[in-house]
Amino acid sequence: MLGRGLKRKLSDYEESMAGLSSAFDSSRSLPYPLKRQLVLNMCLTKLQTYKMLVEPNLHRSVLIANTVRQIQEEMRQESSQQPVNICPGIAPASHSYTGMESPGIPLQLPSGVEDISPPTCLVPTGDDQPKFPENTGLKLEDDRQDLKGAECVFGSFEISNSTSYLKDLAIDDIFEDIDTSMYDSDFCCPPLMPPRSPSLATEEPLKTFPSCNSSSANNIQICRTDLSELDHIMEILVGS
Amino acid sequence: MAGAGGGNDIQWCFSQVKGAVDDDVAEADIISTVEFNHSGELLATGDKGGRVVIFQQEQENKTQSHSRGEYNVYSTFQSHEPEFDYLKSLEIEEKINKIRWLPQKNAAQFLLSTNDKTIKLWKISERDKRPEGYNLKEEDGRYRDPTTVTTLRVPVFRPMDLMVEASPRRIFANAHTYHINSISINSDYETYLSADDLRINLWHLEITDRSFNIVDIKPANMEELTEVITAAEFHPNSCSTFVYSSSKGTIRLCDMRASALCDRHSKLFEEPEDPSNRSFFSEIISSISDVKFSHSGRYMMTRDYLSVKIWDLNMENRPVETYQVHEYLRSKLCSLYENDCIFDKFECCWNGSDSIVMTGSYNNFFRMFDRNSKRDITLEASRENNKPRTVLKPRKVCASGKRKKDEISVDSLDFNKKILHTAWHPKENIIAVATTNNLYIFQDKMN
Repeated sequence: MLGRGLKRKLSDYEESMAGLSSAFDSSRSLPYPLKRQLVLNMCLTKLQTYKMLVEPNLHRSVLIANTVRQIQEEMRQESSQQPVNICPGIAPASHSYTGMESPGIPLQLPSGVEDISPPTCLVPTGDDQPKFPENTGLKLEDDRQDLKGAECVFGSFEISNSTSYLKDLAIDDIFEDIDTSMYDSDFCCPPLMPPRSPSLATEEPLKTFPSCNSSSANNIQICRTDLSELDHIMEILVGS
Repeated sequence: MAGAGGGNDIQWCFSQVKGAVDDDVAEADIISTVEFNHSGELLATGDKGGRVVIFQQEQENKTQSHSRGEYNVYSTFQSHEPEFDYLKSLEIEEKINKIRWLPQKNAAQFLLSTNDKTIKLWKISERDKRPEGYNLKEEDGRYRDPTTVTTLRVPVFRPMDLMVEASPRRIFANAHTYHINSISINSDYETYLSADDLRINLWHLEITDRSFNIVDIKPANMEELTEVITAAEFHPNSCSTFVYSSSKGTIRLCDMRASALCDRHSKLFEEPEDPSNRSFFSEIISSISDVKFSHSGRYMMTRDYLSVKIWDLNMENRPVETYQVHEYLRSKLCSLYENDCIFDKFECCWNGSDSIVMTGSYNNFFRMFDRNSKRDITLEASRENNKPRTVLKPRKVCASGKRKKDEISVDSLDFNKKILHTAWHPKENIIAVATTNNLYIFQDKMN
């Protein structure tokens, strides 16, 4: 069953999970990045499922989140050793989370795939299109969003922590008059849009999302409606 | 152990099995904890339905010297009921997570039982006499007309059928935000600790309206949480010492004399990871599911997903002994992660003399490790072996390659049949092993 496991699209992973995990266990020749991605997807699925429970199991959530973090750290280290794959203009790992209003995960990602960024850098102009490599960059971003969503699982353990999503907003005043009460809940939707500075060309990364069906489809689907609404808001703000 | 002969080997025989025979397991009947009392005469079980069932060992019959007394139902009571937390819209499960006995001080027995949120102290007392011969009341309780009383008599106690009554004497509530995983009675027999995922509280058995928080590992920002408390226990002799284990595979020993809040450990027990065994699941399988001090207090045992480790309290950097429970599962971790079996919390226990340790596994197998002879044995709790005094046959799992006769291959193991809870009589070679909804009692063969 090894061949089937390798060819299967990741968007079908839910159905094929049992087959994949036994392929993982039994095969020695499954490439490491694929194994890693499989485990990461399983973790994110579980965390997503837990988010929907009224009271997720804290012990399991912590263990799974740690595993996700560990895999992402590994992926980040790998991709930072291959700068050619990621859009130029990156300041190597200098944009850590600690500088921003974000959950205190000491995760560092190449700034090309961050959504909170200083206004100067990032999406390159000209014909040097960022190749968000499907198997690392975008997934990193998706997964990081999911991890943020995952972190919010812990947030749901406290009534008072319902504003953790809002803490991620770096630019509060722009959104002052926007009704964010719908986001004021114990479970968090990965904050895809609002933290982006409006001066960024946000269209580009956005466009790549719908075309990328190899990402963790479930996680994106849930926020698609929110995404389109935020889209609308952004358009108004940017005046485009 | 059994099979090879030799003077010290124990031969385990089936003794009894309690519980329903059907394969269809009622959720409420799932056994969630098993505990002998200090003398071993009583054996308590708790289940998912919030009930406690206590079995009592029959007094030994001198004519039946080939076996020890059987355990029969002594008392059954509903310890915890399901509750609803209106503030958080959460149901609080009535499942009994742990039972711990107090040493007996008078005719009554006391035990602590806990669910996720509330600990209760139960008094179990016997009544085998009742007063008879009242002057103003008939035997059925109706009042007599005083004018018909012509003589007076003194009421006397007459024997009656034994009645065992359980009554809740203390309820220790509202001290835990997270789910209680452990309770442990201090050697002073006056205080006890209760541990949840992030905090440990110290209680006095007489005082229910407050407790002291002695460990708190909750970070200021919950999103920075990376470790939870998985088990805690008081030292059997030193009343100021306790340990707690974590999801990262570490054990911290704390001394309550050092400070009021024991956030800084006195000792940290941690074994460096074996790099050759590193996998994506390394952290998950290192999470400790149970920690138990030896009766002597010199050692402690921890159970993680694949192994049992014995630690000398004087040596923090590695365990003194490690026993593999089911190493053949290491190559199946992804599948076990997918079906959540990797999160199963197995318990472990010592025998009375601290020479043998026991723990459960899958397929209703359980394992014993003799620390002196270094031999181990795998046995099965199954109704197929239920002829009393028949010696249990050792089982073997074939990890790979050619399967020998009588061996079971890893792929045929039933991962729904797990033995999470086991207990060993404090003095004798009698063990209680809980499958999903049945309790098995095994004894060594007495010649």
